[in-house]
Amino acid sequence: MWLVFQKEIKELLRDRKTLFFMVALPLLLFPLIFGGVAYFSGKAIEKAQTRVLTYAVIGDEYAPTLSAKITAQDGLKRYVTKIQSDNVSAITNLVKSEKVDFVLVIPNTFNDDILKIGQNKLTLYLNDAGLNMVQRRLNKIIDNLAESNRDKAFISLGIAEEIQQGLLEPIVIDKISTADKREDLGEKIGGLIPYMIFILCLQGAMLPATDIGAGEKERGTLETLLISPISRNQLVLGKFFTIAFAGVTSAMVTVGSLFVWGVLLSQGMAIELITEFMGAISVLDFVLMFAMLIPVVAIFSAVLLSMSIYAKSFKEAQGYMTPLVFIVIIPVILAMLPGIKLEGIYAWVPLMNVALAIKELIKGTMDYMALIPIFLSTTAIAGLLLTFCIYWFNREKVLFR
Amino acid sequence: MIEIKQLAKKFKVENPKKLSEQEKKDPRLKGRFFHSVQNVNFICDTGQVLGLLGPNGAGKTTTLRMLSSALKPDSGSILIDGLDVLANPIVARQKIGFLSGSTGLYGRLSGRENIEYFGKLHGMSKSAIHQKIEELAQLLDLYSFLDRRCENYSTGMKQRVSIARAVVHSPKVVVLDEPTTGLDIMATQTVLEFIRTLKKQQIPVIFSTHHLDEVNELCDTVTVIDEGKTKYNGDLHSFRALSNGSLHNSFMTSIEKG
Repeated sequence: MWLVFQKEIKELLRDRKTLFFMVALPLLLFPLIFGGVAYFSGKAIEKAQTRVLTYAVIGDEYAPTLSAKITAQDGLKRYVTKIQSDNVSAITNLVKSEKVDFVLVIPNTFNDDILKIGQNKLTLYLNDAGLNMVQRRLNKIIDNLAESNRDKAFISLGIAEEIQQGLLEPIVIDKISTADKREDLGEKIGGLIPYMIFILCLQGAMLPATDIGAGEKERGTLETLLISPISRNQLVLGKFFTIAFAGVTSAMVTVGSLFVWGVLLSQGMAIELITEFMGAISVLDFVLMFAMLIPVVAIFSAVLLSMSIYAKSFKEAQGYMTPLVFIVIIPVILAMLPGIKLEGIYAWVPLMNVALAIKELIKGTMDYMALIPIFLSTTAIAGLLLTFCIYWFNREKVLFR
Repeated sequence: MIEIKQLAKKFKVENPKKLSEQEKKDPRLKGRFFHSVQNVNFICDTGQVLGLLGPNGAGKTTTLRMLSSALKPDSGSILIDGLDVLANPIVARQKIGFLSGSTGLYGRLSGRENIEYFGKLHGMSKSAIHQKIEELAQLLDLYSFLDRRCENYSTGMKQRVSIARAVVHSPKVVVLDEPTTGLDIMATQTVLEFIRTLKKQQIPVIFSTHHLDEVNELCDTVTVIDEGKTKYNGDLHSFRALSNGSLHNSFMTSIEKG
């Protein structure tokens, strides 16, 4: 068995294509994705914030203070128009034709004295699709004026400062969560991690699995291997462990790379958060997560090997394997749904129970008794599938199709 | 010595609609089963070369696959030096060297590693494998490319390494399934030379072929199979005597007679 395993691994390591997908891609891809997204989104936001906006104001004569403040603001350019405030289609067209970024319509009833007029209503026309930051930049000016008007009103009414706060916000809720940071963050990202690991394990195992089964058939080496004096069980186990090993390695490399680059590229505060978060998860929890992955990977490997040896060619094997990804995704996605917990029947559903357990372990709220159904059900299924795989390898109809 | 008696093998037909016209007409198709091999007998003595002839689809490959224990026969017996292949497939496998025309090599391993792998699977020690490879490399002239990856080999190189791989465990019997089909003249010559070497070493060789000149050159005995049944068994001389013309005529006569 080890003979087969050693040879398959040796062959795998010499395959540049497989190595590239398994190791180089995750190592290089993640920094590129992280860095690229951070760089470009940063650029876009900066551009939206500093870009000179062209604007038109209709009815500025009714609000001289506001108009003066807008004019005084940097990064805004006035566009003079004679359109009347009731001509909505003309205003809309002005924005649509991109002559201006926004049009602010001030009603003739506008008054800085709140006590006389009540609430003032302005109308802002803009293309709000996409990142433009128009409203945020405008709010800075308007909020400023609104606050000073409000303060003036309070003073003229003679209301004390504490009462002012009460009037603005009569009741304030002070929220204290009993969930610590770990549970909170675990709930948010805990569902994503098993999802990623499962898919990566499957993907990483797929390439070698195709090669080891269908590949041998296509190259014509299978027949010779079958008539060498090694029992079928040994042969299947050797191939099975190769696939499982490749799957785990590829997942670990990717997760490791994700973690390392994530830490490196995130900002100072996030590093503190991540290290604190990782530190809260005990070594035992990590070992448990890994231990639970073993039967899962065994399930994947047995299924992949059975498919691969049945297929006549690489192409056929890939055809059989692609739908497998969707089948694996379903229980994992279900495990991400908020209402579903590691209880009752869910603890027995394979894949789903492991996904839920990983989430619980990350959150630090694991019920360790649930490990019994998890290991029982996944190990039983993995064993069953492996037995099937060995049976499958003894079928002439499968080997000589 | 190899003895094959009343060998039979049937395959289940999964989808009768998918069969070709020719297959539907074949008398071997009975209900849900296709009786690929029905009654094949032959004997190959020590130091003899047996040529297995027959049209395409006659059951040659199936017979040889049963002989090499890749397929299990439904009935009949296969004895190698008195050992029952069906009862002890793993022991029997160590006595057989098998090579077919479509055999491939692991492209990402070197020729030496390919041979080593099968040597190890046969339970040979490292030093024994090393010694055997040296011997075979000399015999088959492998030195110039033995340590390069197989994916870049020419057909002839591949065939020579395949031969070395098939006999690394010093088999008692060598079975070759159309070993020269699809090879160029040089590569064919290598295979024929190799069969001669085996003959000198008193190792019985069974090979199937469509080339009658190869039979004429190498074989001591001839077996003709058609529609899964042995139609002719005998030495080359009496095979030639079947008709006064060429071996081709003899072949046709043997099939029509049977």
